[in-house]
Amino acid sequence: MEAFIAAVIAGIGAGGVYAILAVGIVVAFRGSGVINFAHGAVAAYAAYNFDEIREPGRGNIYLPWVDPIPEWGVLQKLRLNNLPVRIHIMEDPPTWLAVFVSLAMAAFIGALMHFLVFRPLRNAPTLAKVIGSVGVFIYLGAVALKNFSNSNRNDAGWWGFDSTSDPYVIPFTDKTMPGSNLWLAGSALVVGGVLYLFFRYSRFGIATRAADENEKGAALLGYSPQLLAGLNWVLSSVLAGIAGIVFLHKTNPSQISLLVVFALAAALIGNLTSVVGATFGGLALGMIASGGVDFFQRDFWGEGVKEWLPADGIRQFVPLIAIIIVLYTRGGKLPVRGSISVGRQPQAPATNNATVGTLGLIGIGLLVSNIFVSKWESALTTSLIFMLFMFSLVVLVGYLGQISLAQWSLGGVAAWTTARLAADGMKIREFDFFANGGPNWPLLLAAIAGVVAAVVVGLLVGLPALRIRGVQLAVVTLAAVVAIEKLVLRNTGLMGEGAASTNPMPVLTIFGSNFGGFNENSNQTDNWKFTVFLIFMVAIVGVLVVNLRRGRIGRRFLAVRANERAAAAAGINVSQTKLLGFGISSAIAGIAGVMFAFKLSQLTSENFAPLIGLGLLAFVYLGGITTVTGAVFGGLLVAGGLNGEILHLHFDGVDQSAINIAGGLLLVVNAIMTNGEGISLVNATAGKEILHGLRRDPIPPDFPSGTETSTADSTVADSLEGAVV
Amino acid sequence: MSSETTDGDRLLDIQNLSSGYSGVPVVRGVNLHVDKGEVVALLGPNGAGKTTTLLTVSGLLKVLDGSVTVLGDPATFGAPHKAARRGLAHVPEDRSLFFGLTVQENLRLGLRGSRSAQAAGYERALELLPALRPLMGRRSGLLSGGEQQMLAMARALVGEPKLLLVDEMSLGLAPIIVERLLPIVRDIANETGAGVLIVEQHVHLALSVCDRAYVMSHGEIVLEGSASELKDRPDLLEASYLGGEVSA
Amino acid sequence: MTDNILETKGLTVTFGGLNANDSVNLNVPRGKFVGLIGPNGAGKTTFIDAITGYVPMSAGTATFAGEDIGSLKPHERAERGLVRTFQSLELFEDLSVRDNLLVAAYPTKWYSFILDMLYMTPKDQETEDRVNWALDIMGLTDEADAMPTDLPHGRRKLVGVARALAAKPDLILLDEPAAGLDTAESQKLGQHLREFLDHDMSVFLIDHDMGLVLSVCDYIYVLDFGEIIAEGTPAEVREDPAVKAAYLGAEAGDVQAAAAEAVVGAQSSGGE
Repeated sequence: MEAFIAAVIAGIGAGGVYAILAVGIVVAFRGSGVINFAHGAVAAYAAYNFDEIREPGRGNIYLPWVDPIPEWGVLQKLRLNNLPVRIHIMEDPPTWLAVFVSLAMAAFIGALMHFLVFRPLRNAPTLAKVIGSVGVFIYLGAVALKNFSNSNRNDAGWWGFDSTSDPYVIPFTDKTMPGSNLWLAGSALVVGGVLYLFFRYSRFGIATRAADENEKGAALLGYSPQLLAGLNWVLSSVLAGIAGIVFLHKTNPSQISLLVVFALAAALIGNLTSVVGATFGGLALGMIASGGVDFFQRDFWGEGVKEWLPADGIRQFVPLIAIIIVLYTRGGKLPVRGSISVGRQPQAPATNNATVGTLGLIGIGLLVSNIFVSKWESALTTSLIFMLFMFSLVVLVGYLGQISLAQWSLGGVAAWTTARLAADGMKIREFDFFANGGPNWPLLLAAIAGVVAAVVVGLLVGLPALRIRGVQLAVVTLAAVVAIEKLVLRNTGLMGEGAASTNPMPVLTIFGSNFGGFNENSNQTDNWKFTVFLIFMVAIVGVLVVNLRRGRIGRRFLAVRANERAAAAAGINVSQTKLLGFGISSAIAGIAGVMFAFKLSQLTSENFAPLIGLGLLAFVYLGGITTVTGAVFGGLLVAGGLNGEILHLHFDGVDQSAINIAGGLLLVVNAIMTNGEGISLVNATAGKEILHGLRRDPIPPDFPSGTETSTADSTVADSLEGAVV
Repeated sequence: MSSETTDGDRLLDIQNLSSGYSGVPVVRGVNLHVDKGEVVALLGPNGAGKTTTLLTVSGLLKVLDGSVTVLGDPATFGAPHKAARRGLAHVPEDRSLFFGLTVQENLRLGLRGSRSAQAAGYERALELLPALRPLMGRRSGLLSGGEQQMLAMARALVGEPKLLLVDEMSLGLAPIIVERLLPIVRDIANETGAGVLIVEQHVHLALSVCDRAYVMSHGEIVLEGSASELKDRPDLLEASYLGGEVSA
Repeated sequence: MTDNILETKGLTVTFGGLNANDSVNLNVPRGKFVGLIGPNGAGKTTFIDAITGYVPMSAGTATFAGEDIGSLKPHERAERGLVRTFQSLELFEDLSVRDNLLVAAYPTKWYSFILDMLYMTPKDQETEDRVNWALDIMGLTDEADAMPTDLPHGRRKLVGVARALAAKPDLILLDEPAAGLDTAESQKLGQHLREFLDHDMSVFLIDHDMGLVLSVCDYIYVLDFGEIIAEGTPAEVREDPAVKAAYLGAEAGDVQAAAAEAVVGAQSSGGE
């Protein structure tokens, strides 16, 4: 018991960081109505800079971009001036200067985010805003990777103690925790307290709260909502920087990005508006997670439970559960910050004749596969698998309008389940590290079971969608991504010994011939039969998805996406329709995951890491999330796919992080300019859309009903509500 | 009092205005003006386009055709805060109170100008609406409908506006409260020389406080005149409200 | 029992302690055209929201075709033939006008998505005919393939009505179909509305275009401050002094009386 209490209390360390991050998310939300998924990435970027400037003998900081003009090849010969990236401050700066410079960098990023991303998106639909922040997430992560190498940046000493020394005896117990935990919790309380007072009493704070509640009212009183939003973005980013710096002595900055899940949970506990609630929510989550891990690691559970519930899994399950509980109990009442109007959704036109496109695709695929054989084979199959996967996002996000970030994790569930069920405890290839134990099911049966598992988990992920929508759903699904990774994919009890590293994958054999991606002869993933197999899979599923759109169910999906109230009035069972969408989408994601497994000889959980799922959503959005064609373009663009391969051949040194940087940028541009219709619809609407994007009306005149009486009854309701006491 | 004024006295000048939603005009060919010290009523049945006109003046809706000059400058669509800083106050139909804020905080957001000007505006508003004094610390969401309307008025007044737009002050309020609130706009116009444009359902009350009135129907102005002229022709008013031919 | 397709008894909707609808008793006889009028903010839309399941009733009952519908979800009420339109447009903006109607018209089963994906959707001539009829009666046949956003406001209003018609209602609830229409459009709409009665449906209309309501309805209820203050035939309602007071505000002399009434009303409702 004492140990348990000690574990709970020790959780205030991590909890403090969650709290500071959560407060930053609250500030950005109050100021602009955006839930910033990239908040952790901003924290990480500031932390990297803090570390870099303090690195002995360096003293540099890096601006949040990379030099677009590489130091090789044709472009270098043109002798263009390179964009400044690195700024030398001073060697071995005093700590206060390092803190100041890093926070200034965070503030700069906040201003950039406001002006370049969220201000242009201020009247865009939810999806575009989510994509905008996902774009920043991917972009900042890739830029950090490029500017700061991914070496261990753990700066243990900067506060004068590291995580192991300076133990602090926890009161009433004989256990200790790192003294830094107290500092972290203390910082959180100070930050929370200061911001509470600031928002409570300063005119800026009051105006922010006012504009948050009623933008129109604030504007009519002379406050510019966009000015308030910009200042709050800067403040929010500085808070992210503080969180990143104070946590630097515990963890590598690259780990900070995904702490955003805990921070989102804490912010939701604070109703997305309460600084105090977010602060204590963050501390509480840290303590619950720490206590929960201790609790389930107890001996009395027996080895079985310990094995099946990995510590990381329990930890990551805490924010998911917290988010779901908050959204379920308060879902309807959570503030959906009303900007004065919301832009239209991306068009999702029905394709009336898919034959030409399908045949063309098959033909081109076969040509590429046969002419260029082995060289591009692997990139081509990667593109094809991701096309297949992106069909699942077209159905769920494009047609039905439900923003799920978890679909690639479902692909992971299917892939791992297949590998596990088909395993027989024998090594498959000589170089396998592990011989995965399993029931030795026939591979195709195991694959079907894998898809079923994806559908089951997908429906579970979709359940919250019955109560909540839009960005809130995206938050739940992001938490689900992390929970699925830690609790399912990396769970050695569930998925076998190799779940922590690599699991061998059996060979896909049809009619005695190897149809899997891995070529035993060349020791590479360049089996052309697999390519052909995939081409037909993509064609078939693509046609099914096209047909879905032009049928009755597709119409119902679009109706639900457009307007749930009106859909119910038209007799549509909205809940059922949403679950159907999650089911179909999860099945497609599962199929894609299984195909991914078929391609590889070894599965690793890295294949299904959270950032990959976000990247895939990003790329299908680039291609056009509302059409099958868009998914095809998206698949070609993916890092590791055909586009990357071509770039790689022609420009030595173009790597995946460069593609992610470009991708993240393009994503933001695309969200602003084409509203997610992407490459696939650009031809049809390019001119009009781009013009529309450029001069998007500050406040488009789309008041609810178009008549002056529209709000009459609700106004009465509101005022009545106000008159209770 | 409207007939002979100099340009400096013209606070609001709407000429041949068309405006509406999504580029579709709801209001067509409206001509209207408000001068210093004048209370003007904009009347008409629901859906006639009164609120649309006010929203266009504030810059919340786009001028599709014609011109709107507010306090000497054209209406700035998309930047309502600019007109507000010039001295326009708009109490919208939904009152746009900040329910999460206290009465005092709501009022504080309306303050404008130097410290002394702020103090003076604050005092004047509370003199006109003394019922708010004991409620300062209360969250505005917890006020009664009448108190909320008073707060919305007070918040507009503390900034000492040059031009005041009030939309549907009587909405959802008992007649006795309206009867008490409405004359305040008369006092403001008389005391500060501000121009006031009210949209009002209570025709008789509106005509009792205003100098002039316009009657809108289906997006157009169908009737205009001084308060006394309109009081004498209830048949015309009734026709424009309850349907039937307006033959004037 | 009765030939009322819709009956409410004591229907009350409470928002935060005050009654937006207060004990409303209202009947729509089968095959009749009933109107509900009242000034801005009287609680008219709240009434439609309550009987279609968009806001919960705090007290009272609503009976549709003999069945108590109080506990049904909105889509279940729509399936039973109680179909509404919205005051605001609420169209499916990504779907063409015809598809907007088809969404409501086509019934689906749990396995429909499989048939759809295989492009084996059965053609249902009766449904197609009904959609064509709805387009025709609202004069939208020529615009069937346009996107709603490309149509002028008035036409879009009609799409909303047509969509409700396509859902085969037994009772159609029209929430301010004429709001935002100009006089000519409004009159034209009025001409069509009466035709609905020839197609096995009853009609319930809310509008504040008094001319429209008085000219098409068989029977009219008047709502003010959430309560029915008058009812009767159009002729009776037009002459009712309470109605005039509600719309134009009381004449100076009546204010005191009205105020006294309001105070009494507030006390009685506050006591609940």
